[in-house]
Amino acid sequence: MVEPVTGELPGLLRRLANPPPLVRELGAMPLGAVLTRAVRDLARRRPEIFSRLNEHRTRSFVIAPTDLGLSFRMVPNGVRATVAVSARGQFEGDVHVRGPILALLGLLDGTLDGDALFFDRTIAVSGRTDALLALRNAIEDAELKPSDLLGLSGGLGRVADFRVPKVLSKLRRMAGMPLDEVTP
Amino acid sequence: MPQVRLTLGPVLFNWSAERLIAFYRGIAASGVFDRVHIGEVVCGKRMPFSDPVWPDAIELLEEAGIEVVLSTLALPGTVRERKSIAEICGDARMVEINDLTALPGRAGRPFVAGPFVNIYNEGTAAFFAARGATTLCLPVELTLASASAIAAACPDVETEIFAFGRLPLALSSRCYHARLHGLHKDSCQFVCEKDPDGVAVDTLEGRPFLAANGIQTLSHGVQAWLPTEPEALNTGVRRLRLSPQAAIDMASVGKVYRAVLDGAMTRTEALRQLSAMELPGELVDGYPRGVPGCTIAAPA
Amino acid sequence: MSLELVCPAGTPAALRAAVEAGAHSVYCGFRDETNARNFPGLNFSPDELNDAVAFAHARGAKVLVAINTFAKAGAADPWKRAVAVAEDSGADAVILADIAVLDHAASKHPGLRLHLSVQAAAATPEAIGFYAKTFGVKRVVLPRVLSVEEIAVLNKAIDVETEVFVFGGLCPMTEGRCSLSSYATGRSPNLSGVCSPPEHVAYEDDAQGKTARLAGFAIDRFAPDEAAGYPTLCKGRFVVQGKASYLFEDPVSLNAAGLVERLATAGVTALKIEGRQRGKGYVAEVVRTFRAVVDAVEAGRDPVEAERILARLVEGGRQTSGAYRKQWR
Repeated sequence: MVEPVTGELPGLLRRLANPPPLVRELGAMPLGAVLTRAVRDLARRRPEIFSRLNEHRTRSFVIAPTDLGLSFRMVPNGVRATVAVSARGQFEGDVHVRGPILALLGLLDGTLDGDALFFDRTIAVSGRTDALLALRNAIEDAELKPSDLLGLSGGLGRVADFRVPKVLSKLRRMAGMPLDEVTP
Repeated sequence: MPQVRLTLGPVLFNWSAERLIAFYRGIAASGVFDRVHIGEVVCGKRMPFSDPVWPDAIELLEEAGIEVVLSTLALPGTVRERKSIAEICGDARMVEINDLTALPGRAGRPFVAGPFVNIYNEGTAAFFAARGATTLCLPVELTLASASAIAAACPDVETEIFAFGRLPLALSSRCYHARLHGLHKDSCQFVCEKDPDGVAVDTLEGRPFLAANGIQTLSHGVQAWLPTEPEALNTGVRRLRLSPQAAIDMASVGKVYRAVLDGAMTRTEALRQLSAMELPGELVDGYPRGVPGCTIAAPA
Repeated sequence: MSLELVCPAGTPAALRAAVEAGAHSVYCGFRDETNARNFPGLNFSPDELNDAVAFAHARGAKVLVAINTFAKAGAADPWKRAVAVAEDSGADAVILADIAVLDHAASKHPGLRLHLSVQAAAATPEAIGFYAKTFGVKRVVLPRVLSVEEIAVLNKAIDVETEVFVFGGLCPMTEGRCSLSSYATGRSPNLSGVCSPPEHVAYEDDAQGKTARLAGFAIDRFAPDEAAGYPTLCKGRFVVQGKASYLFEDPVSLNAAGLVERLATAGVTALKIEGRQRGKGYVAEVVRTFRAVVDAVEAGRDPVEAERILARLVEGGRQTSGAYRKQWR
């Protein structure tokens, strides 16, 4: 029995997030298509986020949550963005980011500070530091809300923006993530 | 008279009075340099020791028919340092300014703008030329392409390149020699005199990288930009600055540079001869070529 | 006269956060080599600057635009354009360093207020007087080389406003006069607006821990349980005469909160917070804390415990008052 790394998903959730290999593999392809569409929608609504990436929008970012049975490869090229999902093996890419899924989600919506997570080793990065920095700064400025990421509008979007951060925050506490959250 | 001339820059390190006077005696006798800079540039605290040397050094050099340039401090702060700059700026000889502090006191009369003055473009160069600059020794990190744009825009000013010696990279109000020896700057005991070429700063893996000289940080590598005269003139460069290092004979270094300028020696042979000297570091020439300054000088 | 708190904004989101947290002024730059924080993904487009100025002005805050690198020889147009765009946006001042850019701004944009960047490294009455007299510079950002006592003496000898750094990253070298970064990487603050550029940064993990490299040079090494850092050249560990140490500067941040009252008495007009590369959460917290410090000093109230409040935000968790106390040297 391996002790879970601090900040990783607690037991039951961890099992839910790691279904048997066959289920994972079957789910990977459609999930990739859904995420690709979500990122492209975001690029149509908020093009300025992607223009901030400059030449780094054609780089590939591999994101590997250590406590999830999936890894992701994103090329954030605006309306031509792609996201691929894999249930096994490693993606090749220009930038690799590894860490607990709750920390990675915290980066996405700006709840957590990327520098702090990296320097205290909660997340590990390798590859092109300049591309990673560009992505980090673009996300930092984007002030993404759950509704932006899920492509929700209207009442549903407002519910998501209210509920999702609370749920994530609660999960982070359950996971014992030793980090102060940024409260802008 | 050659079209590209050799300048001996000011001694950047803390040399004893005896070493300084012996050094300038040798330079005066060698006949290699037609212009020699004297004066303390790095640390005002060294001035009480070196100041008595300068009248004798000036006399030796001028008697040998060499033009003497009085260099001034690069990071003046105290009242005494500022007064000394004002005094030097009033001198009838050529003066090198290394900080804007010296400009108001010298504007309107001829001066050299040293490599510590931030002249990065032709607009700034023209500004200094209009106020009396006759030679611009450009910042060490500028590329030849930039030097050439500046020279083209200011044809009446001599463009000078830092061509030999450890590269002066940074200045600080903090003294790293004092810090290294657990001392404060105010009671530094002049520990920098122990390292007449600066003290080597290596990476954690033991790779030579930088050198500390009191409040100054230099490169570990020794600049060796060795153009022929047509190559220098093509980029508008009319002077090469050779910066004194302690462990070697600077007149011999000057002769190597002269021979390459005159086409009497190949670059490959010059690098071989320089490498055979007791240099404090490897030969580098990245900056003029527009690549990292630490890039090793390779034979042509 | 009241102290002006000048706060960093690397992105429009950070600018809004700074203004809402109580900044009197915010400084920012364009997304190119014309400013000294030219990092990927950072800074403002001309449109974003227009919006930012409108946002700040509506809330009574000023915007200062940093165009504080040295124009490239034969290619000065981006700097000239930046000055024009800044003026058109309605920004309250531009912060300049290069004499060519100052000369251009003073002659072609006579209505524009000019501040002298720390990158110009003007630290004496003669140098500051030169910039004031020649270009009509109204404020000088002082190099981080002076003690509080020296600032007081300097302020008596000049007739322009002074701005000093009170918080954030600390360059041990005199800014605007450092080429360490280009020696290793080819790019430097003066040449490209960036120090220790990220495209040359690599982290290597092995059994001994993590090695942070800049252009191949090992700048620092961290044990597996030790907090890692960005390999900024002058903040690295080096070996001199067989001994490894942080030769130039320990991993500390400047925090002069405890000196605000003395700086005000020394005649300083504005207090500057460093950190355009930091996130909006960081900016908001530092600005809020320093606004409280400034308000307390002006009202003659008890000092705010800024060191304690900001401890978790500073590099290596340690704070220094830097050159403001002479012992630093």
